[in-house]
Amino acid sequence: MGGNQSTPKITAQDRAILDLKLQRDKLRQYQKKVQGVLDREEAIARQHLEAGRKDRALIALRQRKYQQSLLQKTDGQLENLESLVFTIEFSLVEVSVLHGLKQGNEVLKEIHREMNVESVEKLLDETAEARAYQNEISDMLANNLTLDEEDAVQEELKQLQVEIVRGPRRRGIHARLLTETEKDVELPSVPQTAPTRFEEEPEGIYMHLHYVPL
Amino acid sequence: MSLSTHTTPSGFVLPSIHAAPPFFTKQPNPATEAIVIEQWSKLILSYARHRKLFMLRVDDAETPGGEWDEVLRNERINRRLPPTHLESILTAMVVKGVAAYEPAKQTRSVLLYWRLPEEWAEVLHQWATSTGQMNTIMTYYEITEPAVPSPLSNIPIPLLRKAIAILAKTNRAQVIAIADGEGVRFFAPAK
Repeated sequence: MGGNQSTPKITAQDRAILDLKLQRDKLRQYQKKVQGVLDREEAIARQHLEAGRKDRALIALRQRKYQQSLLQKTDGQLENLESLVFTIEFSLVEVSVLHGLKQGNEVLKEIHREMNVESVEKLLDETAEARAYQNEISDMLANNLTLDEEDAVQEELKQLQVEIVRGPRRRGIHARLLTETEKDVELPSVPQTAPTRFEEEPEGIYMHLHYVPL
Repeated sequence: MSLSTHTTPSGFVLPSIHAAPPFFTKQPNPATEAIVIEQWSKLILSYARHRKLFMLRVDDAETPGGEWDEVLRNERINRRLPPTHLESILTAMVVKGVAAYEPAKQTRSVLLYWRLPEEWAEVLHQWATSTGQMNTIMTYYEITEPAVPSPLSNIPIPLLRKAIAILAKTNRAQVIAIADGEGVRFFAPAK
């Protein structure tokens, strides 16, 4: 933290605001004083009345009335000053909002300069090209199998399916999976003994299933 | 003789020592006197905090009817603190840094630091933050007599000045002076 660099300079504007606020405070102090006088005059009137001096009490009350009107007048002035202070402070807030908007606008412009339409188009074109190239490569790699080979694979799959359906139904789940259309679904019987360990998975089925073209 | 605490009408609990007659008399033994003065300054500061009093004058011990009567007098044992004794207590408090002569260059009235100026600076800054007074210019009158009572209500201007000066050192406040008076602007603490 170096010196007074972080504290802003006192501008003429600041001085004007301070002056205004000091005037407002003075008015408030004056009001306090008048209020004191009001209370005093009332006490005086009461004293006179108790002592039986009606005319003196009347004078004190008149004074009091006059002070009261003064108090009302200062109320109006105070309101004026306060509203001026608030207006100024609100304008300052508006100025800072404007400043913020300006800065945001600058930043946005800067970003847009970096991101103009041509470069975006170019970038999109390049991306499309790259994607097309990628697709080409994928196609080439996927079409490694010839049509004959593909047919053979399909045939093999069909055979396996048939084998599983007809063959010993070792597991209900496999049967159900492959014979969804069959009517006479046979459920496996409830085992009589507690299961010890699962039988080995017929891995072959799955291995071949992976070759089914999607 | 049994000594007990006493609750004053203002709700302050006086320590039992306050009911001991020797407490109100200057002790000839310097060691005893030092302890008595220590006790008095503690009592004065806590009472000042309780009643939010900022000034203590030798005069308060001389004339009854002031705001310090509950402490400087004990009618129940018919004792009061002699003004000369109070003056020496004040001197000890100023030496200890828990009070300052106000105005300076006299020894009959002091400003009590039941919060040190550094602590007041924190209270001031916290208040300004919590009431959203950052970056706006405020007059001292606004701080000492706010429309809504605050912890800073009625704080003496000299103490307020000290607290602001401490904040200004760390760039958390700035004093603005014009011909008509002074104002202050608070800032959020620098990172």
